[in-house]
Amino acid sequence: MASHRSIVLSVVGLVALGAAAAGSAATAPATAAGASGDSWAAIAKRPDFGGVWELVFRPPGGGAGGPPEQPSFTPEYAAKLKAYEAEQAKGGHQDSPAANCLPPGMPSIMNQPYPMEFLMTPGKITVVIEAYSQMRRIFMDGRKHPEDPDLTFNGHSIGHWEGDTLVVDTVGITPDNALGSSWGMKHSDRMRIEERFRITAPDTMEVRTTITDPIALTKPWNSTKTLARHRDWDIAEYVCEQNNRNFVNDEGKAGIILNHQ
Amino acid sequence: MSTMISRVAGAALIAAMIAASASAVAHHSYSMFDMKTTRTLVGTVKQFEWTNPHSWLWVYVPNDQGEMEQWGIEGMSPNFLGRRGWSKNTLRPGDKITLEIHPLRNGEKGGTFLTVTLPDGKVMKMSGEALRADAAKADDARPDAPRP
Repeated sequence: MASHRSIVLSVVGLVALGAAAAGSAATAPATAAGASGDSWAAIAKRPDFGGVWELVFRPPGGGAGGPPEQPSFTPEYAAKLKAYEAEQAKGGHQDSPAANCLPPGMPSIMNQPYPMEFLMTPGKITVVIEAYSQMRRIFMDGRKHPEDPDLTFNGHSIGHWEGDTLVVDTVGITPDNALGSSWGMKHSDRMRIEERFRITAPDTMEVRTTITDPIALTKPWNSTKTLARHRDWDIAEYVCEQNNRNFVNDEGKAGIILNHQ
Repeated sequence: MSTMISRVAGAALIAAMIAASASAVAHHSYSMFDMKTTRTLVGTVKQFEWTNPHSWLWVYVPNDQGEMEQWGIEGMSPNFLGRRGWSKNTLRPGDKITLEIHPLRNGEKGGTFLTVTLPDGKVMKMSGEALRADAAKADDARPDAPRP
């Protein structure tokens, strides 16, 4: 099918990689379907995630579905947020470290006003995220999460297909980052994110996200968002340090540098 | 006669523009800007920096004494604007323009960009036409939106 072939075409930059993988298959069948993940032929039969996708901005109040669900914090983490907001009310915590170009990490990196691209290769789906030039690697080769994962911005992701739905499970996310709307909304190192990606119309993808955290949240935090495919877009360069005039200092004071010769 | 006019934004269109701007913030809070005040600047382009994470427009604006002052106006990134009708050549040094901005709260000569009227009279909006349809109804597409 042409639409399936276009997945491969959309990752034309990886053709060389694909050739290399195919070449090595003779000695190590790493690209065969099974425990090591989809082969190129199997990928061609999967839903077409190719192209560039951008978050669809939602109406005020959340639209027909009502306002988005808010996380339900345990007393300890509710107190953290309250303390943060109290400091903000006194003029502190004026911005998050993102003002200094630090990427926000998961889950916020998936909610940026910049597009992302899904690259499907044997055993792995790579999400190229324009904002902050980030990348997520979703292992599709049947591996498990590490028992004691290093804590990183975007975590450790493993995925599998349930019919036409790509199900991704992510752990190992550093609690130095925040959950969402406020930098005071923190999570623990036990946070787990499940994302279910599904094509619902030719250029529409639904993403259902469930966040659990036995230390920070009293119940799963669910949300749904929509991505729109832009066939004529490419991911562009985004070097945040290029001309970043915003800053937030160690005392939480934010500002703008207006020097320009 | 003052060449700079402060006024409170009331028009629905401007409200939509604010929503658009806020929804598309790449990486920082807008708390430093007075988002309830729209100020008009008439001046001459010094330089338009087509850079990430924001474009920066440097413009010479005469003050009430007729002296030239330099203003720095933050705009959306080239990635965002380039997909919505802008280019690095939209504003060129020497262009006589009229700007609408939300000024910095601290009184420094800076702000965040709403619209620019080009020398040929064309009005370019910071949100871009394509986004306005979406962003006029958006309040939670900020990168820090309360949504996983």
